[in-house]
Amino acid sequence: MDQLEKHSYDVLIIGAGGSGLRAAIAAHEAGLRVAIICKSLFGKAHTVMAEGGVAAAMGNRNPHDNWRVHFRDTMRGGKFLNNWRMAELHAKESPDRVWELETYGALFDRTKDGKISQRNFGGHEYPRLAHVGDRTGLELIRTMQQKIVSLQQDDARRAGMPSGAHDGRLKVFAELTVTELLLTPSGAVSGAFGYWRETGRFVVFKAPAVIIATGGIGKSFKVTSNSWECTGDGMGLALRAGSTLLNMEFVQFHPTGMVWPPSVKGILVTEGVRGDGGVLRNSEGKRFMFDYVPDVFRAQYAETEDEADRWYDDPDHNKRTPDLLPRDEVARAINAEVKAGRGSPHGGVFLDIASRLPKDEILRRLPSMTHQFKELADVDITAEPMEVGPTCHYVMGGIEVDADTAAAARVPGLFSCGEAAGGMHGSNRLGGNSLSDLLVFGRRAGEGAAAYVKALQGSYPVVPQVQVNECMQTALAPLERADGESPYVVHQELQQVMNDLVGIIRRADEIQHALDVLEKLNERSRHLAASGPRDFNPGWHLALDLRNMLLIAECIARAALLREESRGGHTRDDYPAMSEEWRKVNLICSLSADGRSVEVVKQEMPPMRGDLMALFSVEELKKYFTPEELQHLPAEDRTDVERKVEVS
Amino acid sequence: MTAVAERPAETRAEAPIETRPVRVKIRRYVPELNPEPYWQTFEVHALPTDRVLNLLLDIKGYQDGSLTFRRSCAHGVCGSDAMRINGVNRLACKVLVKDMPDEITIEPIKGLPLEKDLVVDMEPFFEAYRSIKPFLITYGQPPTREHIQSQADRERFDDTTKCILCAACTTSCPVYWTDGQYFGPAAIVNAHRFIFDSRDEGTEERLEILNDREGVWRCRTTFNCTEACPRGIEVTQAIAEVKKALLYRRV
Repeated sequence: MDQLEKHSYDVLIIGAGGSGLRAAIAAHEAGLRVAIICKSLFGKAHTVMAEGGVAAAMGNRNPHDNWRVHFRDTMRGGKFLNNWRMAELHAKESPDRVWELETYGALFDRTKDGKISQRNFGGHEYPRLAHVGDRTGLELIRTMQQKIVSLQQDDARRAGMPSGAHDGRLKVFAELTVTELLLTPSGAVSGAFGYWRETGRFVVFKAPAVIIATGGIGKSFKVTSNSWECTGDGMGLALRAGSTLLNMEFVQFHPTGMVWPPSVKGILVTEGVRGDGGVLRNSEGKRFMFDYVPDVFRAQYAETEDEADRWYDDPDHNKRTPDLLPRDEVARAINAEVKAGRGSPHGGVFLDIASRLPKDEILRRLPSMTHQFKELADVDITAEPMEVGPTCHYVMGGIEVDADTAAAARVPGLFSCGEAAGGMHGSNRLGGNSLSDLLVFGRRAGEGAAAYVKALQGSYPVVPQVQVNECMQTALAPLERADGESPYVVHQELQQVMNDLVGIIRRADEIQHALDVLEKLNERSRHLAASGPRDFNPGWHLALDLRNMLLIAECIARAALLREESRGGHTRDDYPAMSEEWRKVNLICSLSADGRSVEVVKQEMPPMRGDLMALFSVEELKKYFTPEELQHLPAEDRTDVERKVEVS
Repeated sequence: MTAVAERPAETRAEAPIETRPVRVKIRRYVPELNPEPYWQTFEVHALPTDRVLNLLLDIKGYQDGSLTFRRSCAHGVCGSDAMRINGVNRLACKVLVKDMPDEITIEPIKGLPLEKDLVVDMEPFFEAYRSIKPFLITYGQPPTREHIQSQADRERFDDTTKCILCAACTTSCPVYWTDGQYFGPAAIVNAHRFIFDSRDEGTEERLEILNDREGVWRCRTTFNCTEACPRGIEVTQAIAEVKKALLYRRV
């Protein structure tokens, strides 16, 4: 057996994207010793790919904006399946988190009076997304990376040491993958087990609190905007540790991914293109989104092109363009147009900004998009339309957490935030709400974990050696098998089956077929082989990541089969309507006792607090809630009352 | 050699454009098996729209699963896949095959310790980055909301905020290759990002660091860095602006 490298920290954060870094800052500020683990180099996380902006009701461009409007938009976008407490905290706290980020040094585009500029985005009533051109995620990561460097240097200076990067209270372990959480006999967190990607050597972290901030699952699908890290690791870790995942059937297909050339299929085209005036057209040149406004949104969206176009300059007297409907609606509409034979040459639709804005303005507002299309597709977006189509982008489901503390269900000491955690976005996430989610719940997770650790008063759990030995055996197995199967093959087949059978439009028989295939893939995955040395062995790494991808794929498919309705990021061809009964239901995934399969149960959602219900008109609530849920509400339309509240 | 996948028969046939055979000559280094780096050539049938990254993924997926390189976002934002492609530092995800000859040589970036195949130890690079205090320095109470910054002030340092820390500039710099102490252009770019930020109050201490013997004065203005930058940052100009700020002690 190996010589084991061992570390001991108060709080261990797995994942160094936006939420993990914000959690690290919070836990460090609480005075604890913090380790951050990332699979990539520090600062390369998937968050860098977020383009459009951070949603926060600061009201810099429209003074009517406030947390109540943001809360309403978020709940509508999620079709009222959101964990309403998370949506409330998120709407209330995101302005403070953005201002705080600005004081850390984040660059933002500015309004004429020097405040943070905000842009329009799908589903947001007012211009709400603080942004830096179309590279907001990159700036968010860079700012927090810089903040962490500054905290390390502060610590080092206080301790009289030359550099905080190596010895301080805040350490980054880059290019290290965690394969298992370690638990006490009673099932509380005691640490984590992983390996250095560079050397393949094993590492044991002892820590009473672990925050999972590992992001999403896109790499289980063939066409995705996600980067290679998004293999659902944290969700797999949480499940195997005894925690639960919530509403995994809800997967967001971003309506506008590149569809051509094949080498870049799936890469994101920011919603900011539409926020800044771009429109979707079919092969006949028609702005087809006007044909796809669902009843629940009819009151908020323009019915004619003229009104939609007036809205950009006069939003107070016109309704917004349906090009900016929530993402699930737009993705389904594109899917339907392509199916009806009105698609673009390469199986998407057209996204036209060239005829809508002067060239200079496009270059100024969308520099990354201009380069991306010029360099990768040889398309000049200032002169011709882009071809776009849906791409797997985000999972609304995730680890079941407490809204206030980010504590994960059933496992003391386990916390989660960011895309890895579920609930906040309901059945569909609005653009821009992800970066704000990272900041709001990253901080809360850091503070939640810190409070938990402090309450232990130094009686930290021990790491059982027998578990460590098991972890080593499991991790080494693919290296020791002489002629097992290639992990690349299993991965390809997994991506294909998820794309084809559990994708944007689903049917019971297809999902069942997918589950049959997944069962076979699971069986085959127990015999994966990746021979060769342990240092930077990509086949071995993939074999270990596949365990998580397969587990999460099964969660998605099982939950998708059970939920017999269509809502947000879950569309059932055989149950096309949204159901009031299903709105109350969360689907909870856990691992079976033998650890070999996923079990899904229904769990009723706690009723929304009265003061939050009162932010909506009864007429609107009737579209989502059952009569029993609404019987205690006064019958009159409260829109006027609420408007007064907002103005005051 | 790790296992690889069988190529599904239809993937390439689906493609409506003719593929072209490309010879990909890669500088390999597998210290556990061989103490010396060596060259290995693969043949790949590539679409003109493929990027060099697609060729590497193709080789790793179908020919040699042990081939090691970094990549993450795969479209030029994260800055993980800088490498020397036909002798020039580029991001593999941003170089199209149609712009390449029939033989493409790929080597790791120079000047950083080699770990395996195309992967180098980035720690010295990040150490230089950290040494220029790459964070906003302010004194006094932070504002309750945001700092006010005019559009013109924000524009002033826009170019250097685009840096993705890929190291393409630093590892194309001949001074950096020969002198282990020089910060390199990326660190100076990131210093520039704060020196010219109207909100920052750390200009003096940062300039002092850059005025060091191993600081900006080592730059010989060869423009390799500007040519290498995948983000189009005017690196040499940024370094010149920092030099000027040092000479006149004024930003």
